[in-house]
Amino acid sequence: MKTKPFLRSIAFLIVIFSLAIAACKPATPPPTEVAPPVEETEPVAPPVEEPTQAPEARKVATFIWTQEFDTLNPLYTNMWFSSITQQIWNCWAWDFDDQNAPHPVLVTEMPSKENGGISEDDKTITLTLRDDIVWSDGEPITSADFKFTYEMVIDPKNTVASAYPYDLIASLETPDERTVVISFNEPFAPWAASLWHGLLPEHVLRPVYEAEGTIDNAEWNRAPTVGCGPFTFVEWESGSFARFVANENYWLGKPKLDEIFIRFVPDDASQIAALKAGDGDLGTFFAYSDVPDLEAAGIQIIKVFSGYNEGWFFYLDPEKGHPALQDVRVRQAIAMAFDRFSLAEDLLLGLTQPAVTLWDNTPYADPTLEAWPYDPERAKQLLDEAGWIDTNGDGIRDKDGVELVLTYGTTTREVRQDTQAVAQQQLLEVGIQLELVNFDPDLFFSSYGEGGPAAKGELDIFEYSTTTEFPDPNMADFLCSEIPTDDAPEGVNWESLCDEELDALFRLQATQVDFATRQQTFYQISRMIFEKVYWLGVWQDPDLFGISGSLLNVKLSGATPFFNIFEWDLAE
Amino acid sequence: MTRYIIRRLLQAIPLLLIISLILFLLMQTMGDPLATMGGRTVTRSEDRKRLTRQLGLDKPLIVQYLYWLVGNDWTKLDLDGDGILETRGTRRGVLRGDFGTSLVNRGVPVTQVIWSRLPNTLLLMLTAEAFILILALIIGIYSALRQYSFLDNIVTTITFFFYSMPVFFFGLGVMYIFAVNFKKWGLPYLPTVGMFEPEAGKSTSQIIWHMVLPVATLSFGFIAGYSRYIRSTMLEVMGQDYVRTAKAKGLPRPQIIYIHALKNAALPIVTIVGLDLPFLLGGAIVTERIFAWPGMGRLFLDHVSRSDTPVVMGILMMIAIAVIVFQIITDVTYAWLDPRIRYK
Repeated sequence: MKTKPFLRSIAFLIVIFSLAIAACKPATPPPTEVAPPVEETEPVAPPVEEPTQAPEARKVATFIWTQEFDTLNPLYTNMWFSSITQQIWNCWAWDFDDQNAPHPVLVTEMPSKENGGISEDDKTITLTLRDDIVWSDGEPITSADFKFTYEMVIDPKNTVASAYPYDLIASLETPDERTVVISFNEPFAPWAASLWHGLLPEHVLRPVYEAEGTIDNAEWNRAPTVGCGPFTFVEWESGSFARFVANENYWLGKPKLDEIFIRFVPDDASQIAALKAGDGDLGTFFAYSDVPDLEAAGIQIIKVFSGYNEGWFFYLDPEKGHPALQDVRVRQAIAMAFDRFSLAEDLLLGLTQPAVTLWDNTPYADPTLEAWPYDPERAKQLLDEAGWIDTNGDGIRDKDGVELVLTYGTTTREVRQDTQAVAQQQLLEVGIQLELVNFDPDLFFSSYGEGGPAAKGELDIFEYSTTTEFPDPNMADFLCSEIPTDDAPEGVNWESLCDEELDALFRLQATQVDFATRQQTFYQISRMIFEKVYWLGVWQDPDLFGISGSLLNVKLSGATPFFNIFEWDLAE
Repeated sequence: MTRYIIRRLLQAIPLLLIISLILFLLMQTMGDPLATMGGRTVTRSEDRKRLTRQLGLDKPLIVQYLYWLVGNDWTKLDLDGDGILETRGTRRGVLRGDFGTSLVNRGVPVTQVIWSRLPNTLLLMLTAEAFILILALIIGIYSALRQYSFLDNIVTTITFFFYSMPVFFFGLGVMYIFAVNFKKWGLPYLPTVGMFEPEAGKSTSQIIWHMVLPVATLSFGFIAGYSRYIRSTMLEVMGQDYVRTAKAKGLPRPQIIYIHALKNAALPIVTIVGLDLPFLLGGAIVTERIFAWPGMGRLFLDHVSRSDTPVVMGILMMIAIAVIVFQIITDVTYAWLDPRIRYK
C-alpha cells in the first residue's frame, strides 16, 4: 500500500514541524546571552546545550505568576498580575513605597498646595516633570507623552479597560515640555491614587494611531520594546514566559539584576512545588494553607496589605430583600454569631485577623472601632428582640410565617467554601439557616444586566474580597446612584442599599482634598457602616509573596509592589 | 472514493454552521466578559457601559452571531455613545477567514492567539500519543500472547493501578518525587514546570527534558486503557479460524501475529485513535496546567474562564473541523486495512 508510508511521513513531518516551531518561536537570544556559569555545587544539572563561548555571569531572577497577563498596555488591563508587572518595565508618575507613601518618579515633587502643584480651589493639579527622564530607547519623556496618554484613554475608538479618572478631567494642558496642568470640574481627592498608572510613548504609538485610528491592535501592546521602567521588555511567549532586561537608561539608577524572567504557572500546587524546588525566586497569590509548607522550605513570606478585605455584603432592597436583613439587630446578631476570630486563627492559620472596616491598615480606618465579638448568647437576645423566634420548633427562627433562611453565595475559591461551612454551622446554633451556593468568578461577578446572582439580588449574603482605590479610600459601592436597575444595569451597589446620610458622606469625601478633613469624614463613614452592619468584615486579605533566600533588598508596597525593584539583587 | 470524500466535506458545511450557532448561544450563558475583566474588583459602571458598546456586546445575540459569521464591515457603529452611527465596522467574519480579535488580549487576532499555542500542544500530544501507541501495542500483544501468565497478571495489575489514578494526582506525584524530592536528596532530578530553564535558554534538549514528566503523565492512563483494549481484540482475533489455518499452514509465528492477527485487530483501535486525534488539538487541560505547558488546553481554560467568546469559538470550531476531517481519514484508513470495505 502506498498510503502507509505517506501517512507515516505526514505524522513524522508534523512532529518535526511542531518541535521546530516550538523550539524556534519567537526568536530567543542565543544561550550564551543568558547562561550563567554552571555551578559545580549543584548535584546534577539538567542537560544544557554547550555554550559556544564563555558565558558572562548574569543575575536572572525568576518570578512565578499564576495568571498570565492579558496585555502589557497599562490602559487595556485590570489584571493585578499585569499591573504589578508594570513597575518592572513601565512607569507611573509616582510610586508608593512600603509605607504606601507616594514618592516621585517622573515628577520633581508630589503636587501640593504648598508647592503650588494644587490650586487654591483644589480643582487644578500641576505636574512638573524631571528633566532627566527618558524612554528606554533614549527619547526624552515629555509632557507630550502625558497628553497623548490622556487622549488615548478618552478616545472612543480605543477599548481601554477603564477611562477613570480621565473622563472626569475638564482639560489637560501642556504649556511646555516639562509641565502638565490637569483641571477638574470639581475638586477630586483620589487623584494621587488614580492618575498616571503607566505612560504611553507618543513617538512609538502616535504613528500607529494615525494609521489605524486606534491603538487597540498596536504591536506595542504585547511587545512594548520601548518602556520607562527599570527593566526593558525583551519577549513574551504566550502561556510560557516573559523576559525583561535591565534598562541602561533608567534615571533612578541602573538595576542590580540583569534580567527578570516571569514564568506563568497556573496551578497553585505546581507553583508551590516550583518554589520549593528552587525553580522560582518570587511567587505570589498562593493560599494561606501553603504558607507553613513554604516556610519549612526556607521561603520567606511577606504579607502586603493592598486594601483588600474579605467581607459579607447583605442584599438590603426594602421590597425584594429578606425581611430579617432589614432589621439592624438581625445583622448585628449575625455579626456576633459568626466566630471570625477562630476562623482567622484555625482556617487562615493566624496569618490574618478579622477585618473591622473596609479601610483597615490605612489612616482612614477609625482606630476606636473593634471587631464585633463572638457572642452567640447576645446574638440570640437580639434576634428575640427583633421578633425572630422559632415558633414551629424546627430549629430555625421565623416571623410572620417567614423562616430565617438566608442564601449565602460566593465564588468557588476553596477558602471561601470552607468559610461558608463554618458560618453555616455557627449561625444554625442561633437559629439562622444558611443555604450555600457557589459560582465561578465570572458568573458570580456578572452584572445585573448579565444576570449576575449578587447583582440581581438572588443572594441574601454575598462574600468576596474588595478594596478601595488603594491607597486612596474612595469607593463607589455604597452610592445610591449605583443601585443597578433595568434602566441602569451596570450599577455596582449590589446591596441595593440607599442610606442617604451615608451617600452624602461618600460624595463629600470625594471632594475633600485636605487629608485631615477627609480622614474625619471617613471615620464617620466607617462607624456608620460598622454599627449598621452594612458590611461585615470577615478577614483582612493581604497579598502574600514568597521570596527565596537568594533575592536581596526586597521591599514591597501594597499599591505598587515592585517600587524598588531596581535595587533588588541576587546573592552570589 | 474521491466523490465520497467530497460529498462528506460538503455535508460538513451545514453541520458546522449548526454547531457554530449552538456553541455561540451556549457561550453567552457562560459568564460576563466584563464582570471583572480579569481584575480583582468589579468593573466600574461607566466603563462597563462604554465597553459593552465598543465591543458590540450590547447588540442582540443574533446580531452578534451574524457579525461573527459575516463580519460588520458592511455596517456603521456608534462607538462614542452619541446615538449616531458614524464608524464603519472592521470585522470581516469567519466566512471570510476573520475569527475576530480576543476580548482578553484585546486587539490580538484569534488565529494569532491560537497559533501561538498550537505547535506546543501538537508537540506534547503527538509525542504522548506515539508513546502511548507503541507501549500499548507492546504490552497488549504480549499480554494477549501470554494470557494469564505471571507477567500478564503483573502487567494487568499495574495497568489497572495507573488507569484508576486521577491525572492531577499522578502529575503532582511525579513532580514531587522526581523534581522536588530528587533534587533535595541530591539525585538526578527533572524540572518542575515550563519548557526550559531561563539560564539555559530555549533549546531542543531543554524542551525534551521538560517534556518527560508531562508526557509520562499524559501517557500512563492511556497506555493502561489502550493495552487492555489491544489485549482483548488480539485475543479475539487469535481465536479466529483463519489464524488457526495460518498456524496449520506452518507460517512463521511473527508473520501470523503481526501480519494476519494484528492488522485485523487494529480496526477497532483505529476507530479509537481516529476519534482521539482531533481532540489532541484541544490539548490536555490538567497536564498542561500542572506542568505550565503553554498549550491549547490552558488557552481554552483561561479564555473560557473570562468568557472570551471569539477565542473559545475559534478553538471549538477548529476542533469541530478536525473531528470531521479525522472521521473521513478514519474511514479511508478502514478501507485500507479491510479490503472488504468499499465506499460509494
